[in-house]
Amino acid sequence: MPATILLAISLGDFIWLVIALFIMFSALSGVVLSLTWLERKVLGRLQLRLGPTRTGPMGLMQPVADALKLILKEDIIPASSEKALFWVAPIIVVISAFMIWVTIPGTQNAVIQNLDLGLFYIIAFSVVGILGLVLAGWGSANKYGTLGGLRAAAQLISYEIPIIMVAISMAMLAQSLDLREIVNGQDDYIYFLIQPLGLALFFIAGLAEVGRTPFDIYFAESEIVGGPFVEYSGAHWSVFFLAEYINTFAIAALTVILFFGGWSGPGLTGDWGIIYFLLKVYLVIMVIFWIRGTFPRLRIDQLMAFAWKVMVPMSFLTIVMTAVYQFYGWPAWSLTAMSTTGLVVVGIVIYKKMTAPSKLVAETRSRRAALEAQRRLPATGGGD
Amino acid sequence: MFNSLKGLVVTLVSTMNGLRAPVTRQYPDSGNLLGKRDEPTPVKDRFMGFPALTWDDEVGEPFCTSCMVCIRGCPTQCMTSVMKDNPLHEQEKSSRRKIVDSFEINLNRCILCGICVEVCNFDAIVMSHEHEMSTSNRNGDRLDLPALLEIGFKFQKDTDWIPPTKRVKVPKGGAAEESKTPAEAESP
Amino acid sequence: MTQTSENIVPNAEPVEMLLNMGPQHPSTHGVFRMVLWVDGEKIVDVVPHIGYLHRGSEKLCEGEQYNQVITLFDRMDYIANFNNEHVYVRAVEKLMGMEVSERSEYIRVILCELNRIASHMLFIATMGLDAGAMTPSMFCFRGRERIQGLFESVSGARMMHNYFRIGGLKEDVPDDFVAQVREVLELVKKDTEESDKLLSFNEIFLARLKNIAVMSAEDAIDYGLTGPCLRASGVDYDVRKAAPYSVYDRFDFDVPIGLDGDCWDRYYLRVQEVYQSIRIVEQALDQLPDGEVTSSLGRRLLRPPAGEVYVRGENPRGEIGVYLNSDGSDKPYRIKVRPPSFCNLSALRQMLKDSWIADSVVILGALDIVLGEVDR
Ligand code: SF4
Ligand code: SF4
Repeated sequence: MPATILLAISLGDFIWLVIALFIMFSALSGVVLSLTWLERKVLGRLQLRLGPTRTGPMGLMQPVADALKLILKEDIIPASSEKALFWVAPIIVVISAFMIWVTIPGTQNAVIQNLDLGLFYIIAFSVVGILGLVLAGWGSANKYGTLGGLRAAAQLISYEIPIIMVAISMAMLAQSLDLREIVNGQDDYIYFLIQPLGLALFFIAGLAEVGRTPFDIYFAESEIVGGPFVEYSGAHWSVFFLAEYINTFAIAALTVILFFGGWSGPGLTGDWGIIYFLLKVYLVIMVIFWIRGTFPRLRIDQLMAFAWKVMVPMSFLTIVMTAVYQFYGWPAWSLTAMSTTGLVVVGIVIYKKMTAPSKLVAETRSRRAALEAQRRLPATGGGD
Repeated sequence: MFNSLKGLVVTLVSTMNGLRAPVTRQYPDSGNLLGKRDEPTPVKDRFMGFPALTWDDEVGEPFCTSCMVCIRGCPTQCMTSVMKDNPLHEQEKSSRRKIVDSFEINLNRCILCGICVEVCNFDAIVMSHEHEMSTSNRNGDRLDLPALLEIGFKFQKDTDWIPPTKRVKVPKGGAAEESKTPAEAESP
Repeated sequence: MTQTSENIVPNAEPVEMLLNMGPQHPSTHGVFRMVLWVDGEKIVDVVPHIGYLHRGSEKLCEGEQYNQVITLFDRMDYIANFNNEHVYVRAVEKLMGMEVSERSEYIRVILCELNRIASHMLFIATMGLDAGAMTPSMFCFRGRERIQGLFESVSGARMMHNYFRIGGLKEDVPDDFVAQVREVLELVKKDTEESDKLLSFNEIFLARLKNIAVMSAEDAIDYGLTGPCLRASGVDYDVRKAAPYSVYDRFDFDVPIGLDGDCWDRYYLRVQEVYQSIRIVEQALDQLPDGEVTSSLGRRLLRPPAGEVYVRGENPRGEIGVYLNSDGSDKPYRIKVRPPSFCNLSALRQMLKDSWIADSVVILGALDIVLGEVDR
């Protein structure tokens, strides 16, 4: 299907678009329901709990019950809030989240409107969501909300840059911004193999972009109690919730498309590839949940330092590597080598940065051991 | 870096453990993963639920003589009771000269401390295993004599209760204990 | 609030914002409230507000008989009930010049140390939650639950035990107590190791806690910090060692100390204390003598002689002191408690100054306050 110019679409196309959007909306809502259930179950199991068990078999109806509850709940609007902003913020967030999905292909054909500049479009729309978060924080006239909104702006914009850089280098590899082309470009080898550094950066920045642990700083429950969402309740809050999960799903889908060959896989051809696609996406999401169940949260200054001191330079490096590789037409393994070296460098940088306290700890421990040995000698003699 | 990865492994391993044997006990039943529902969540033998009055089966009357000792001993002053002459004593059926006429415990005030049980000289009050008694009205948990006796009777039946003063004293520090402690010390 | 903004922050710029944290904040560990002066994300100053959980426990004690007061002590530090009961019954016993049987002392120590473990496990759990990690809390609650189950089988209650009595215990422990404790200890050791592996040396956790709110030894002493917060600053002071009470002088255990005095030290010290407590309990189980545990006083109304005593003990949170003044009647004339949490909290302002908002919850968490004890 050639790119349609939106202004000149026929009535038939228009009806198709409406139907397709409707399908997308329902499908994504279903995905969100499944994700909330999955998240609770996976986290439960990581934490030796059971997760939901009471609503339906294995708690499968829990998300439905939650959704019903949220919709029926009273929607409290604080008296001192900026009503207009308070109302419009969730809508901005959720629309931007849905709009991204217009052009993400599930398979070669399962896409609502493929765009030649698909990647560009996605990046452009994902920035719009930030506006919604800032407005929500400001509009709810709550200091925690404001702090959260500002944190969101700082965090999301900082991590937008590495995402864009890595996406560009992937586009350079495929010589196209069209997501279908990018997937087709991975017929020989998936890009993860030749650009592991890109994957690492993209995944980390993606986590930050959707505010998952360890980057859930802008709504950190234990610090600023929900940040921009602190005053929201009922249906309004559920809209944010919806957007958050759709974004998580989108980041996982993009990771799969850019690095793991999208719907391609052995055995299944044509539109059956969507099975592979979903499988891969859910696996990536499981990893996200796994990370959530393991790590504590960073602090805002550490987060920003990490973004600007590690992520941004390294993502520039991916572009340079890819450019060199493309320009000289070197064999693929050379890029793999370069990228892996980069990854090692990143690892060392993180290691150095983050284990500075750890070294202190080791030092402290040895000093303490020495001290304790000293203290214990005259006291007990024999030890234990 | 390595410690973080180690942490990831720990959570993964715990998932495996969690799949095999989750530590959750579901309330009020102890249903397991497959939704099987077994016996209700058990309480320990010494569990102190709400206080209740006991029933003397031999005579067919409450143990309580309404002597007010527990009422004075209660740190929250949540009980009241009224005494009367025991009609059964006049008929020579019972050794109790006085008997409880009315008794009320405000369980919303009770802190389940067990002092009342400790001070009672007549084995008349027990800490039952009852612990789910929420009601939706303010004074719904003010229990009067029949209700208390009912809880107490259920407790007596469930646990084969013997009045503490009639229990055979296990010799303390005797041979039974002596032989057990070293044996257990070696076992682990 | 008696202080106005001018006299807290003399040169407060208009860009600074007043941020109210608590009493309904998930990370203030109860109903603590602090008003933070923040400049962006930096904390300029803090005004703590306490008293939301004030129940007048000390005054209530004056209206209760000596055996009833134990129930009030249960409810002061509601995470370390046995430790609280212990220090109170010791105070009355000292006043009456009473001898307590060996066996009951040993059982008391075992239960107190188990309670210390449970309390520290709760601390590790909440520390993880404050830093944003959810899983350690579940791991620790598993271990704590085991100990609580043990307490239930011993005293009949999971938290408000009312088990220690003046001159002994309420009743002897169940027959399988020793075996039960040994089993629980094994499991608890494993649980602690697991959460230790998961959390303690995690790089992000270290980055969040290391070099945060450093207190020098001098400062810590000046502020009257006790317990893990003091020892984290490198002061080797533990009432169990410094002035051994009960039967603590018969056990071989170490007092872990930190050297940097930062939040991570406060955290890790407690993890190590869990292991030390396990050691104590194991030794106590080995040495556990036979004998009577119930007091010869029976259920008689206690009338200690007129006089006053001050008794201290090592709670999980620090040194607890009980001042007891008796006028010879059946009710104490005055009871004053020196609660460790309250005294430790006094250092909050110095710790919080110039830290980040995100640090405030971690710092408060590392102090490990229990509001029931702070407000009494
Ligand atoms: S329960 Fe026992 S102590 Fe209380 S009034 Fe009855 S007989 Fe007396
Ligand atoms: S358990 Fe304690 S509070 Fe409750 S009635 Fe008995 S003495 Fe009073």
